[in-house]
Amino acid sequence: MKEDRFFPSSVEVRPAMASIRSAYENDSDMLEIVREFANELPARIAKLESHLAAGEMRELQTLAHQLKGAGGGYGFPQITELAASLESALKQGMDEAAVKDRAHALCDTLRSVVVPGA
Amino acid sequence: MNPEVPNPNRVLVIDDSESIHKLVIARLRPEGLEVIGEVDGERGIERAVADQPDLILLDIGLPNVDGFEVCRRLKEHPATRGIPVIFLTGTADTESKVRGLDLGAVDYVTKPFDQVELRARVRAALRAKRLQDILEQQSHLDGLTGLWNRRYLDQRLESELNVARRYGRPLSLVLVDVDHFKRVNDDYGHLFGDIVLQGIAEGLRAYARRSDIVARYGGEEFAILLTDTNLRSAMYVSERLRSSAESRHFEARTEVVNVTASFGVACTEDLAAELAPEALLKAADLALYASKDAGRNCVHLYRTGELILSTGNPLALGSSDGSENR
Repeated sequence: MKEDRFFPSSVEVRPAMASIRSAYENDSDMLEIVREFANELPARIAKLESHLAAGEMRELQTLAHQLKGAGGGYGFPQITELAASLESALKQGMDEAAVKDRAHALCDTLRSVVVPGA
Repeated sequence: MNPEVPNPNRVLVIDDSESIHKLVIARLRPEGLEVIGEVDGERGIERAVADQPDLILLDIGLPNVDGFEVCRRLKEHPATRGIPVIFLTGTADTESKVRGLDLGAVDYVTKPFDQVELRARVRAALRAKRLQDILEQQSHLDGLTGLWNRRYLDQRLESELNVARRYGRPLSLVLVDVDHFKRVNDDYGHLFGDIVLQGIAEGLRAYARRSDIVARYGGEEFAILLTDTNLRSAMYVSERLRSSAESRHFEARTEVVNVTASFGVACTEDLAAELAPEALLKAADLALYASKDAGRNCVHLYRTGELILSTGNPLALGSSDGSENR
C-alpha cells in the first residue's frame, strides 16, 4: 500500500498541536459562519470518535467527506488535508490501525481550532 | 404586460452539508445573489421546479439519489431543463467531471472551492443564462410592436385554460382589430401603417393591467388574455382600451389621422361549449365581427351564444351570477 504523504501510518507519537486559526477570520463576509463552524467542531469530534469506537466506517467516511469539502472553504486547509487522508484510508479499506491513526490526527487538529473572537 | 428579461440572480445549492450552504451564501451574497438550499436530491428537484432558480450548484456525493441522477432528472424535466447546473465535486477525477458535463452540466467546481474561482464560474454561468433567457423571449416577441407574438399567446392560452379549469377561475380573451386598416395603408403608405400598429400596440400595453397578456395576433389584429377575469371585468378593460385607441392621433405629412379599433370579448364562464382554446377564440371572434357589423369602434361580448353590445354600462350585462334572464 502506498504511504500517505501527509500521515505515514508508522507515526505513532503525535506532538502537541499549536492552535489553528481560520485564514478568513478577518474577512467580514466570513467571520460569523467561521465562528459557527468552529463552535460546532466539538460536536463533530464527538461524532467522529463515537463512530470510530463503534466501528461504523460508512458514517465515519461521510463525516470525513463533509469535513474535507468544508474545511478549506472556512479557512482551514489542514482540516481538508487530514479529512481527505482519513477518507482515502476508509475508501481503500486500510486496516483499523491506519484508520484510527488518521481519525485521531484529524480530531487533534479539530481540537486545536480557535474560535475567532472567543 | 411589458416583456422584459430580469437579471438572473437566484442560485439553488443542493448539498448534504449545511456547512457548504452557509459557505456558498457567504461567498455569493456580496455578488447580489439570492441563495436557496436543499440537503437532499429529491427535495432539490422539487425546489428547482417550484422556485425556478437561474443556476443550480449540485453536489455529486449526495446520499440516496446521487448528483449524477439528480442532474439527469433535472435535464429531463421540462420545467428545469434550461437551468444551468454546476457540479460541486469533492474528487477531482476526470471521469466524474466528464460524466457530469456529458449529463448536461455547464461546469464544475472542486471542493473545497476557492471563493474567487467560485464567484467567477457562477458569474459566467449566469451570463450565459441571461443570453439564453433573452433568446427564448425573443422567439416569443413580435418584431414590429414588441408585444408577445401569436405563438406565445397560443401557448399561454392553452396553459391558462388548464389553470382556469383546475382552479375554477374565469379566463377572458379579447380580440382587437384595427378599423379600416387597409384604407390607412392605401392612403398613407405602409410605413405609416406600421406606425399606427406600433401606436395602437403601445396604447394596449399601457392601458391593459399588469397581469394581462397582450399580443399581436396577426396583421392588424391583437389579442389580450385576461387571467382570473370575468366577462364584466374584461368589458371594463376593453372599453378603456377602445377609448384609448380612439383618442390617439397619428400625424401624417399634412394631416392628423384618427384610427379606431373594434373589440370582441369572450369569457370561459360564458361558454356553453367545453373549455378548448378554439372555442374561446371562436367566441371572441364572433363578438369582434358583431362589433364590425355594428359600425366598428365598439365592444361586443359573447355570452352563452348571444352577442351583446357593450355600452360600458354594467347593467347591460344583467346580474353577475349569470342566472338572470337576458
